[in-house]
Amino acid sequence: MLVLSRQRDETIMIGDDVEITVVDVRGDKVRLGINAPRSIQVHRKEVYDAIKRENTAASNVQIDDLPSLDAQARRESPRS
Amino acid sequence: MNIETTRFGTVTVADDRVMDFPKGLLGFSKYRHYVLIESGDTTGKGTAQESYFWWLQSVDVPELAFIVTDPSLFVSGYSVPVHADQLASMGIASMDEAQVFVIVNKIDQTLTGNLQGPLVVNVQERRGEQLVLSDRRFTTRVPLMEVPAAIAAPVVAVQAPVESAVAVA
Repeated sequence: MLVLSRQRDETIMIGDDVEITVVDVRGDKVRLGINAPRSIQVHRKEVYDAIKRENTAASNVQIDDLPSLDAQARRESPRS
Repeated sequence: MNIETTRFGTVTVADDRVMDFPKGLLGFSKYRHYVLIESGDTTGKGTAQESYFWWLQSVDVPELAFIVTDPSLFVSGYSVPVHADQLASMGIASMDEAQVFVIVNKIDQTLTGNLQGPLVVNVQERRGEQLVLSDRRFTTRVPLMEVPAAIAAPVVAVQAPVESAVAVA
């Protein structure tokens, strides 16, 4: 991993169009400002990891976990 | 084309039914190609009733499949906020040209939907992407419905290949 030291208001560039600026440092909390094209998704890693975990869990669902699924959904769905 | 699956045996689908997820799904980035299989067909009855759930079956990996649903069938007020640049990168002008699915999981007897990581599919080009929403109202496990405890069925019946499985739009 590349490790860089930056002070408040200093920036690093990733490629030509992603800028990450240290906005504030207070105790053990660092606030970062990110400028990136909208086509690049920027999110906290925990959110990514949560979705990744949920995908993995959902990939283990089997046919017999879901007996008569559609029939029941038709009864329960507000649109049915 | 024929697709080998562990859940449905060999499934035959038209080539133009294959969807491309160029980035894969989160945690499954290597696998790009999927088809939708109506969950109703897993009964082998081949009825033409409208489905609420589909299997998103990997073309590349026989055992990789997800249950997906249209979240608007279960959750009101759910929309996927997508910026114009992001729409453009998906090849669509507006969300009217997209179909939104969420992946379904089963937690005990509750079916949950991953509303934080919706799948957005460009219907015309059959190209999709899993988005990550920062809106904290929508979590990875939003309850959709309860299902009754499964009645123990002979394993043989579950493993029988379903020849009538058909991919849908």
